[in-house]
Amino acid sequence: MSAAFPSSRRRRIANGAFRAATLLALLAVVGPVVWVIAGVVDRAVPHWRWSVLTTNTVGVSGGLENAILGTLVLLLGVLVIAGAVGVLGGVYLAELAGFNRRGKQRGGFLRAATEVLAGVPSIALGLVGYLALVVQFHWGFSLLAALVVLSVMVIPYITRGTETALRQVPTNYREGAEALGMSSGYGLRKVVLRSAMPGIVTSLLIALAISGGETAPLLYTANWFTGAPRAALFHQPIGYLTYPVWTFWDYPSNQAHYLAFDAALILLVIVLLLLVAARIIVNRSQRYAEARRN
Amino acid sequence: MSEGDERRAGEHIRTTPAESHREREIDHVLEALDPDRERPHDVVLSKDLSLSFGENRILSGVNIEFRRGTITALIGPTGCGKSTFLRTLNRMNDKVSGFRYEGDVTLEGASIFGPDQNLLHLRRRVGMVFQRPNPFPMSIRDNVVAGVKAHQIAKGKQLDVVAEERLRQVGLWGHVKDRLNDSPFRLSGGQQQLLCLARALAVGPEVLLLDEPTSALDPISTELVESLLRKLTPALTLIIVTHNLGQARRASDHTMFLYGGKLVEHGPTAELFERPKEPSTEHYVTGRMG
Repeated sequence: MSAAFPSSRRRRIANGAFRAATLLALLAVVGPVVWVIAGVVDRAVPHWRWSVLTTNTVGVSGGLENAILGTLVLLLGVLVIAGAVGVLGGVYLAELAGFNRRGKQRGGFLRAATEVLAGVPSIALGLVGYLALVVQFHWGFSLLAALVVLSVMVIPYITRGTETALRQVPTNYREGAEALGMSSGYGLRKVVLRSAMPGIVTSLLIALAISGGETAPLLYTANWFTGAPRAALFHQPIGYLTYPVWTFWDYPSNQAHYLAFDAALILLVIVLLLLVAARIIVNRSQRYAEARRN
Repeated sequence: MSEGDERRAGEHIRTTPAESHREREIDHVLEALDPDRERPHDVVLSKDLSLSFGENRILSGVNIEFRRGTITALIGPTGCGKSTFLRTLNRMNDKVSGFRYEGDVTLEGASIFGPDQNLLHLRRRVGMVFQRPNPFPMSIRDNVVAGVKAHQIAKGKQLDVVAEERLRQVGLWGHVKDRLNDSPFRLSGGQQQLLCLARALAVGPEVLLLDEPTSALDPISTELVESLLRKLTPALTLIIVTHNLGQARRASDHTMFLYGGKLVEHGPTAELFERPKEPSTEHYVTGRMG
């Protein structure tokens, strides 16, 4: 580099400043991540009891089995509901909306609506969910109310992610599928979706991570429950890991504080496991991809 | 007897009446033996075909027939409508916004635009290979049989047979028989194009459209593809768009020259290159116009 350009004092300073700025920006991103993880681990591990995983909460002490199972049930529900709706919405926007007579892409209204939805604060969604689902529909604090609110919250991310991933699929693949006489649905399923899979899986992962870490809408819709989740959609509150993190910190007891940090640690581990799982799925689906992502 | 010998024989040797009588007899017998004798000579026929995108007219009044079992080259400068014409033959332009056609194209006597024409079935009969190799993101074996699966022509173990047969046909079997489950993107560009050819052949097309199939390939791969194309006739009818005049000359029986949205000239390849009737054809084939 220095051979190609005459080295001057000014250039050296400018280069140095630019390098320093990029490094600083990187630290600003990585620093908080390390800080958060270290902080949680540091406070949770010294008091860690494995029984936290296998006992239910009693008041503000005991274990977190109910909350762990509750969070997993919620994540599974969101994956099914939001995953289905979000991916189908994205497929519609990218593949089926088509063009209007002036050659402009259709579905603009739908796209704008999902963007607005993504911008609505989660607490507002929680309040609306409470008033509409819990009170108006008489669902009570329930799994279904929580799932609906969480799903509505993360569908925009999945829709957008799916649409973007589908748009990045090379025209080559679509033309190849068409020219072989595949119907557009068959080509979409067997060829196009296959190469959009990494983008779709990533958006699902983000959606799950967001809903796993949400508190506000769940306070309004799932409430809190110290027993294991029950197989009921209505009138049955459910526990989840963010509740102890949010509430137990306010109690004047060490037991409650330990549980709050245990819950935070378990949430972190769940999110990390999700990341790993997504990575594995992406790698598997990329086995035959043109440009391997490593 | 190869193409070239046949031509020379026609030009230089004067036949006696007795000999020509005998030749006519042989022709007669050959015709009676031809399995395609009942079918029309022209597999694909373009009748007064005009194509446009919105207000933009690409081609007008193209009348041409493609003889069964021959290779026809489409040549002409960039933007003359070669690719658009080719893509119309298996209706790949249908979904392009603003596309309109006038006139008609028939396949074995039936209009390809007819109401009882099944689009998916049409594309099975009229296959296509593209300029850039476009294997699907699946294993090499699955690529070959992708169309076969889509049309439910074969299943299970039969698919392996189809894959092997088609890979042998394009001369790839030796290279890939031990890595059928590998990604096709590890193959070289030429091998990828052969794979795409195998995939197109696997569904048993009658006509194969090739849109500059070798322009992204090196000379050796190009030669491989060209010699393969020759082997595909007369079972298949091939129509090939090419920018490479040498290729048109080497690999085709007939050549059609498109220029300025019109079919300027068409005829046997040697004739079109050596004795062009139109001045613009002559300019193009002698390289005075690109």
